[in-house]
Amino acid sequence: MTKQIELSGVNKYYGAFHALKNIELSIEKGSFVALVGPSGCGKSTLLRSLAGLESISTGDLKIAGELMNNVPPRKRDIAMVFQSYALYPHMTVEQNLTYSLRIRGVPKAEAKKAAEEVAATTGLSQLLGRYPRELSGGQRQRVAMSRAIIRHPKAFLFDEPLSNLDAALRVHMRKEIRTLHDRLGATSVYVTHDQIEAMTMADHVVVMKDGVIEQQGAPLELYDRPANRFVAGFIGSPAMNFVPAVVGEDGRSLAVDVGEKQTITLDRQLQPGRRVTAGLRPEHLHFVEPGQGVFRLPVGIVESTGSATYITTATAAEVTIVETARRPVRTGDIIDVSIRPSDVHVFDGESGLRV
Amino acid sequence: MKRLLSSIRDGNGFDIVLVAFPLGFLFLMAGLPLLYNILMSFQEVDMFSLGTFLRPFVGFKNYQDLFAQPETWPILGNTAIFVTGSIAGQFLIGFGLALFFWVNFPGASWLRGLFLVSWVMPGLVVGAIWNWILSGDFGVLNFMLRETGIISGNIFWRSDPNYSLYAVIIANIWLGTAFNMILLSVGLASIPGDLYEAAELDGANAWQRFWTITLPMMRSTIGAIVSLGLIFTLQQFDLFAAITSGGPNNSSNVTQYWAWDLSFRQYDFAKGATISVIMIVFVMFASVVYVRSTRHEVRG
Repeated sequence: MTKQIELSGVNKYYGAFHALKNIELSIEKGSFVALVGPSGCGKSTLLRSLAGLESISTGDLKIAGELMNNVPPRKRDIAMVFQSYALYPHMTVEQNLTYSLRIRGVPKAEAKKAAEEVAATTGLSQLLGRYPRELSGGQRQRVAMSRAIIRHPKAFLFDEPLSNLDAALRVHMRKEIRTLHDRLGATSVYVTHDQIEAMTMADHVVVMKDGVIEQQGAPLELYDRPANRFVAGFIGSPAMNFVPAVVGEDGRSLAVDVGEKQTITLDRQLQPGRRVTAGLRPEHLHFVEPGQGVFRLPVGIVESTGSATYITTATAAEVTIVETARRPVRTGDIIDVSIRPSDVHVFDGESGLRV
Repeated sequence: MKRLLSSIRDGNGFDIVLVAFPLGFLFLMAGLPLLYNILMSFQEVDMFSLGTFLRPFVGFKNYQDLFAQPETWPILGNTAIFVTGSIAGQFLIGFGLALFFWVNFPGASWLRGLFLVSWVMPGLVVGAIWNWILSGDFGVLNFMLRETGIISGNIFWRSDPNYSLYAVIIANIWLGTAFNMILLSVGLASIPGDLYEAAELDGANAWQRFWTITLPMMRSTIGAIVSLGLIFTLQQFDLFAAITSGGPNNSSNVTQYWAWDLSFRQYDFAKGATISVIMIVFVMFASVVYVRSTRHEVRG
């Protein structure tokens, strides 16, 4: 696999503000990479730096092996789908699609043919004569994508392209974008704040916070082995439960503090007496027969979605449990839950790093 | 009665009252004089019938007489030159400045605000200042043109029939440029920045972005500013009064100044009204263009 985009030692400053901190990232040709993180984490800045809309302060940026630090956006051969779609409001759909071709001086007939071909694949054939204001949100989204596709660029950049759509359409467009990516064999970089989008669409997920890449890897790798507390809390929905804990004297158990002290066994050896944080995913906590679990917890809030029930306990450190068996649970009940030792994540009490 | 009162307090009546006030004001202060003016252009008016309302009806005689006068066509021509010259100058310089301040260098908005000084100045004051600048013997304009070698002898801007109209046009361009710049700046500011980013990624250079994004997106603003410019230049009176008084020998006379001159200096109110009616037609046309272009300001 060849590297399509390479960033090494990239830093970005806005005056005194350090927006990107020593970014190391390489993106293989044909892969779908998601940049994910809370707002203000630098993911959009990173994407705009790839496009050339922001310049990087230090470090190297290579696209298809060529150093791009000082190349203007129009010469980078990169297409971007904006959050606002940025369709040209004074042009019809067809004119929007063919804009880049017309700028390059492609003959009219050829550009028209290209627009029709792309429109056929994205379902816009009937809408070529319309103006953006006459389209629905989903259709605008498709126009924005088609405008990118028509150019056959070196890479596609997506800046939260689905955030303006309603929930149902978002789920649908998620698949559509991924299908399109696979069919075109494109290289895509996708910015989102929604970890579900990142997990479901990408081959490679980059989690960022405060301008730093906290962890990157395959989606399930991030889910199974989060490098630190931040990634653990960010990936997975509902979020992981964090409870303060102390490693037992044998080094193979954790004294966990959820209202009352309870003990979980571990599948690995840790330094006895160490203060840590135990990370327990809500979906890994299972109901067991009374007296057989590691936790006895009073039920606080019960939220049922039909497919799953979210139970939040009435303990000092709140614990959320996802339950899919439709067990009759009511506020005030005492429930017995257990967790497999291999499902327990342990993070250092101070640094938050995975132990 | 009670129902009427409550309707005025919080029902349809309140809306009607709100609309009725400005409508009534407009009708009284603008509509009636306008209609009276049109009526007067079809009547025979002299000093003795000035105070009466119903005077002898003469049909299109005033119009025929007006166009029989030798100075009518030259003055209409002057008006056309004045309007196109002023609008072109105001728009081009205003657009240039608006683009310049759009770059947003430090102090740009402050400096842009300063430009408005020219617009808030009374026309007569502007005229007086330009009289000095344009002065034939000691004027700054002549000095600069001479020193740069563009002219060899002094131009007597205000008294040379070949230049008098352009003297007023120059002053009017100076007066109206700031207004053009402000409106065009607002238009530029309302173009979403991501369009430029998208165009840049689509491969457009600065020149192509200007022609394919900026200009088309400014279409309604430009339509509005040109039609407002037409209305404002047809209203420009102070500068003529201050700089040339329409002379010498009508060489810088325009319809709006001539109408005033006929009515209030030669007391030929019928002819004055006739010219006004002809101007109303043009202003109405400009108003329709203005209303249409501002209505299309909704952006996709």
